[in-house]
Amino acid sequence: MTIKYKSIKEIKKMISNKEISNVEIVNEVFKNITENEHLNAFITLNEEDSIKKALYLDNNPSDLALSGIPVAQKDLFCTKGLRTTCGSNILNNFIPPYSATVIENLESAGCISVGKTNMDEFAMGSSNETSFFGNVQNPWGENLVPGGSSGGSAAVVAAGIVPAASGTDTGGSIRQPASLCGITGLKPTYGRISRWGMIAFASSLDQAGPMARSAEDCAIILNEMCSHDEKDTTSLNENIPNFQKHLNESLKGKKIGIVKDLDLSSLDNEVVKVYEESLNEFTSLGAELVDITLPNLSLSVPTYYVIAPAECSSNLSRFDGVKFGRRSENPKNLEELYVQTRSEGFGDEVKRRILIGSYVLSAGYYDAYYKKAQQVRRLIKNDFDSAFTKVDVIMTPTTRGTAFEMGSKGSDPIQMYLEDLFTISANLAGLPAMSLPNGNIDNKPLGLQIIGNFLDESSILNFAHMYQNVTNWHMHTPDGLRK
Amino acid sequence: MDKKTVTTISYLSRLKIDAEKEDKIINDLDNIIAFVDQLNDADTNNIEPLSNPLEKTAKTRKDDVTAKNLKKELLEIAPSSNEDYFLVPRVVE
Repeated sequence: MTIKYKSIKEIKKMISNKEISNVEIVNEVFKNITENEHLNAFITLNEEDSIKKALYLDNNPSDLALSGIPVAQKDLFCTKGLRTTCGSNILNNFIPPYSATVIENLESAGCISVGKTNMDEFAMGSSNETSFFGNVQNPWGENLVPGGSSGGSAAVVAAGIVPAASGTDTGGSIRQPASLCGITGLKPTYGRISRWGMIAFASSLDQAGPMARSAEDCAIILNEMCSHDEKDTTSLNENIPNFQKHLNESLKGKKIGIVKDLDLSSLDNEVVKVYEESLNEFTSLGAELVDITLPNLSLSVPTYYVIAPAECSSNLSRFDGVKFGRRSENPKNLEELYVQTRSEGFGDEVKRRILIGSYVLSAGYYDAYYKKAQQVRRLIKNDFDSAFTKVDVIMTPTTRGTAFEMGSKGSDPIQMYLEDLFTISANLAGLPAMSLPNGNIDNKPLGLQIIGNFLDESSILNFAHMYQNVTNWHMHTPDGLRK
Repeated sequence: MDKKTVTTISYLSRLKIDAEKEDKIINDLDNIIAFVDQLNDADTNNIEPLSNPLEKTAKTRKDDVTAKNLKKELLEIAPSSNEDYFLVPRVVE
């Protein structure tokens, strides 16, 4: 018996039918991790604790939602007693004294956290090439990037090592790697999931979410990730629905917004064809396509590259070599301790963003850049507010193409920033959005993005699940089509 | 973006720029700033800035003691500490 490429429901059934034990599952996961070492998808493993928990579950079977389900955790979530690096040299030796609320929620639901996944340093990157711990390989092909920043999480799900992983998304960091690795990933509404214990990058944009093989599995995990948390002032105190409840609702008469301002002419014909074919599936399911306009959409990337660096320069000022993490050796004085620790500890992309942040926040430039970007951010949010008076969801491609080769974006940072062209606006507006596999070009997967209205993850999951009922793109794996 | 500006913002950021990387960094920052200058195309007259998508004021909670004292655990993970303080190089001569 194997859990490779199995869904959460299937694995739970296998456990309850005693076809496989919790310990056997954990052993299989660690065997697959070893066999896939070349992916470089994990930074730290949690083998001993995983076996201990599996043994406990074998002796004390439970019907918790995620009982015995192996989950890989992005190395951005603090895990008590387990090294948490955020992909950075500056946290190379950091062992948190507490766990993130997301981790506590998932583990109380019975999941087994098998390890911490590789990621772009401090979640700043779209190809997993900025990690201090090296590139992650996309399981779909040698030298292909998995996307980023949750590249390790996407790769381990795509390779069938675990059925699900946690990710975080500040400008597309769940959806873009989900698209490039052929899996399903959801960024919930800003505030749905507690940010307590998530190492902050851009606090008004960061949001955690599930990465899995299907919309149904994302729904199951999302329910366990969400909670109202007093320790996070932006955690929403809203009713948390049963996200599985509306999965099978008919799409008849439901409306999909198609963004007229989106310029698809810069995309390959193949990419546009895949996108249009998936829209046809939805119309066959009874949904209607409605033209909408988001006039300020083209400004979302420049808006993001003011706001995110500004918040990052502020958040990352806590890494000073005094309280935790690495400290440079033999500084002459306190000032040198700060400067050397940070200069040795951060990589080039992180430094670049801190510098941009310091610039746009500095006296004389604050109004021209930071305030201006926040005003445009409102225009973008207003565009969405007005679109959602007419439609239930909005659809776009998730990415401009399939996975690209490592190193192929060259040394121009803007080329990499444009990778998140379609995903960034949902973060700026705080809206939930998902990527799900909708095609394959040259045996490389591609994703469709579904953006939902505020707090309406249920509609996104409904559309995605109905699509996955009639298509099999989510069943494609690097090993071929799953039966 | 010139050398002087980059010196100022790297000081504000407490980052040292390697001499051999300086030209590339100035060039990158210049390009990024030129890229975000597109924002000037937007008419933002009378538009309130949006700093957070929730636009809610910070919540208050009952003033109960909730967190336990983690002093020992926190000092233990510091690069240098004694039983009461984080230690840094001498500041006052």
